[in-house]
Amino acid sequence: MMVADAPAPSVSGDSWADAYLAQAPAGDLFAGAPPAMAARWRTMLDRLSAQGQGDPTTLADHVGRQASALGLAFRLTGDEEERPWPLGPVPLLIGSDEWTHIEQGLVQRAELLERVIADIYSTQSLVRGGNLPASVVTGSPHYWRVMTGTPPPRGHHLHFYAADIGRGPNGEWRVLADRVRTPVGVGYALENRLALSRATGDLLGAMHARRLAPFFDELRRGLAADCTRSEPRIGLLTPGRFNQSYAEQAHLARYLGLLLVEGDDLIVSDGRLFVRTVQGLKRIDALWRWMDSRFLDPLAFDGNSRIGVPDLYDACARGGLVVGNWPGAGVIESRALAAFLPRLAREVLGTDLLLPNIATWWCGQPKEAQHVRARIDDLVVGSAFDQDTLGLPQTHFTPGSALEKGQRAALLDVMARRPMDYVGQEVVKLSTTPAIVDGRLTALPFTLRVFVARDPLGQWRVMPGGFARLAGHGDIRAALMGRGDMSADMCVVDSKPAPPDSLMGGTPAIRRVGGMLPAKAADNLFWLGRYIERTEMTLRLVRAIVGGSIEADLAPSLASPTMARLADQLVEWNAAPGRRGAMGPLCAAALGDATRPGSVRALMGVVANIGEGLRDRLASDFWRLVRLPLPKFDGEVTETLLDASSRMIERISALSGLAAENMGRTEGWRFHDMGRRMERAVNGCRLVRSFGGDDASADDLTVLLDLQDSQISYRTRYLTGPALAPVRDLVALEPHNPRAIVYQAQHIADHIAALPTLRRDGMPEEPRRLADALVARLAPLTGDMLTMADMADVESRLFALSDAIGQRYFLQLRKTETTDLLS
Amino acid sequence: MIYHVRHQTLVRYASPVRLARFNLRLRPSPWAGQWTSDYALEVDPAPSVIESRPGGWPVHVARLVIESPISQLRIESRFRAGVQPGAPIIPLKGDPTIAMVAQAALMDRDMGPSAPAHYLYASPRAPLLPAIGDWAAKLLAPDRPVIRAALDLACHIQKTFAYEPGATDAATPVADAFAARHGVCQDFAHVMVVALRLAGLPAAYVSGYLRTDPPPGMPRLVGADAMHAWVMLWCGPTRGWIGFDPTNGCITGDGHLFVAMGRDYADVAPMDGLFVGGAGQSLSVMVDVAPEEEKENIA
Repeated sequence: MMVADAPAPSVSGDSWADAYLAQAPAGDLFAGAPPAMAARWRTMLDRLSAQGQGDPTTLADHVGRQASALGLAFRLTGDEEERPWPLGPVPLLIGSDEWTHIEQGLVQRAELLERVIADIYSTQSLVRGGNLPASVVTGSPHYWRVMTGTPPPRGHHLHFYAADIGRGPNGEWRVLADRVRTPVGVGYALENRLALSRATGDLLGAMHARRLAPFFDELRRGLAADCTRSEPRIGLLTPGRFNQSYAEQAHLARYLGLLLVEGDDLIVSDGRLFVRTVQGLKRIDALWRWMDSRFLDPLAFDGNSRIGVPDLYDACARGGLVVGNWPGAGVIESRALAAFLPRLAREVLGTDLLLPNIATWWCGQPKEAQHVRARIDDLVVGSAFDQDTLGLPQTHFTPGSALEKGQRAALLDVMARRPMDYVGQEVVKLSTTPAIVDGRLTALPFTLRVFVARDPLGQWRVMPGGFARLAGHGDIRAALMGRGDMSADMCVVDSKPAPPDSLMGGTPAIRRVGGMLPAKAADNLFWLGRYIERTEMTLRLVRAIVGGSIEADLAPSLASPTMARLADQLVEWNAAPGRRGAMGPLCAAALGDATRPGSVRALMGVVANIGEGLRDRLASDFWRLVRLPLPKFDGEVTETLLDASSRMIERISALSGLAAENMGRTEGWRFHDMGRRMERAVNGCRLVRSFGGDDASADDLTVLLDLQDSQISYRTRYLTGPALAPVRDLVALEPHNPRAIVYQAQHIADHIAALPTLRRDGMPEEPRRLADALVARLAPLTGDMLTMADMADVESRLFALSDAIGQRYFLQLRKTETTDLLS
Repeated sequence: MIYHVRHQTLVRYASPVRLARFNLRLRPSPWAGQWTSDYALEVDPAPSVIESRPGGWPVHVARLVIESPISQLRIESRFRAGVQPGAPIIPLKGDPTIAMVAQAALMDRDMGPSAPAHYLYASPRAPLLPAIGDWAAKLLAPDRPVIRAALDLACHIQKTFAYEPGATDAATPVADAFAARHGVCQDFAHVMVVALRLAGLPAAYVSGYLRTDPPPGMPRLVGADAMHAWVMLWCGPTRGWIGFDPTNGCITGDGHLFVAMGRDYADVAPMDGLFVGGAGQSLSVMVDVAPEEEKENIA
């Protein structure tokens, strides 16, 4: 029954907020908000509700689609495939007063951590003075003693810092974990914001949400400011595309205009760091590293690392290389060290922490160990250094109360022997925030990952937003995202709109070229082109067999020798098994048999794989096309095969269109196009030899025109049916036919001529020499004099040219072996 | 005791390798009671760079870079070293207990290369395997005197493990060697390091040399024909680091020449590195450690 003076509920809005408030627990971010903030939550939920037409599921789907359109994805440890990103549509709102407190606390902590790290790796006065036990430092797997006495440029060990913070039911914020190894989540925070903005129109602007972009600009300029060169080259060092957060790293590199590099793109020579590019070695001034110190240099840190850069340590030690964060910084991440931060704050800063840790007791001290043993049922027992530890589960912590009697006795026993491996921590109670679960607005406990970076003056800047993790179930302190968890954007909202952004740092100088093209990216782009083209030709072969690209009645009339030749091609290209048996199953295999390396399914897999390594360079439209599943077909029903191959050819054409119309005419585009042309030329030679030989039938020639997509061109030139010399001329030698071999050769030669040369003596490099010779070889030929020996010669020249391109531009020194010799 | 040490390493590659970068840990790092002189390192073909770098631990690291293709590499390390003779170290009545040493190590404020704090924790090649802890629990009871207990452990390894060159290699995990109860000095030292650390003690892995031929009337020590490995245990602020040789079941004496100390084998491996090329490699090593008098007699 409605109370008389209650405002009439609007069609959608009030019902969401009110329904939520009716069941929200105490301390909820919305329910516990002061009136002004509560009103803004209500406004936001009204708007979101209107957008979802009152249906939370609709809204969630809408935001989810934007996330997947951005290419947002992640992996959990052990995942083969990436998972779609579970982005909740309801952002967390934090008012400017509450945020200012958090901000000050984070800046204070960043400064404290920087000074503790600097002390550990220089004079160790904190250890000597008894404020920090040596064994709290040395127990960390991220402590690297070789970094002692190797200070970073301008003394900045930290360029970024991230903290996981939690809000208690009374509204007090506490730090759950400090993170300085990699800022995992910062890219996701950015992408969450992008997806949410796209899905909700001007909502965030209307809420006066602070913008994130300036923070990233400060971060990049902060790294640049520590470099000695005025226009430094900055790389984002990624562990590679199998890393859990590779998608995030690629996105950030693109967003910030950094060079995305892997270890084998880089080389240290004479104590300086270089990237291998198609223009030779180019100096790198700064690295934003997204891998742990131990992997950075197999000769100085972990000898088993296969993703690092040999002698990167020397580049650090000699000065002149900025690395964010400096190797060894991770030592301050441990729970054991967190136990000493309150004391260190008083010692180093002379003040208490504004943003305290959750209470932590390191058991390496007799009194603290006794405390933890006595109160084990009320505490969480955790690994002191966040690693596999005897008696603890894989998550590296357990509430004492969750232990069975036997487990508890076993844990107490190992703790007695090695107390330094354990900490006790208070049990954290987290406050909640609204999220959409199973179509309902539900209160979920959350933690927040927030980010801090140095600006060009070395001052700390806090990103006005963050990555919220909402617990699907269980404890949410372990990784970034667990199974069943959701993420959400966090918005810091002001009561007034922010003044429009001033252009900080002034307008950048106008430039018309992008950055360097690393040799490996060139390699990948080239092979991406080759595999896309190979896929297209395989599809054309299938379509020629099942008929349809020419007059409807032609396919059945193809003389069987021609059909046999088509089938032979598929077999030769490893797309199908031997051609005994019916054509249907053979074509079905060529399309969908993943075990055959030449099948369309396998080739598209390779395309996706190579594309993955180019994540920072390819548009999201590319991903959508490559990820579409193969159209359904039935090997017994010709029409379905025909339909599937035609639809796939359309997709390939769309990919070609993207490359032709959307890729900047950079060196990268040239390598991609060269790959297409190289593959097309080689295929052309093979097809002319198979279907355009001296004994070719009319059917053979028809198929050849069809495969080379030259039917229409032929008919505009000749009134007769296909004849040998004119067909050969059109598909091999006509310079204006974009499918002709000579056309490919000419374009490859043009690309190579436009690429940089490393020679200073004006002599042509090998690829240039071979490409020009190939063009010259083809130019004087005509269809009536072309022999199959010519075709074989052209084909072998193409192979030699492809090898020369690889030798010159791509990495030749990528494979390294290690040696570890027994005494 | 003064020794002349010669350590030759010959590596052959099945096909030429390029851009080889090596760490050599062959030159003795300074250690109390021992001196080194006349150190010489010969590398053939000559590298483009040889330099020293700090190793973090009591380790001397020489860096080599050989840019030109090589199919063979010969390294010879030679030096003269003296070990101070002294009364042999033996367990004493007043030695601290394991529990006392463990506690002292946790509270120690040193961060230098041989500070006990560095050697308390699991390291990449010395994971804290509970099976080893259970196996050694009785010998390493907290109330036992630390030197007596460690010597018992070394003897127990020497007695119950089979010394079998070839049964393991430099990459064999300690778990495998422990499960099979066999191996060589490296495996035994790793097992002992793990057992000691599981008792909360700071234990280090040491590489070094043994005199090749025993003094008259003494048995030849096992492991003398190559580089040897043993364990250093920090026995409290008074007694400091003491060497235990689980291969020979003894406390180290003037027949043991210290080269390097680290958390496990990876920190002190005599040679490791990277090169470009996928060739197979074969290795031969020759070690000669002769007392100076003998050398003069031969000459």
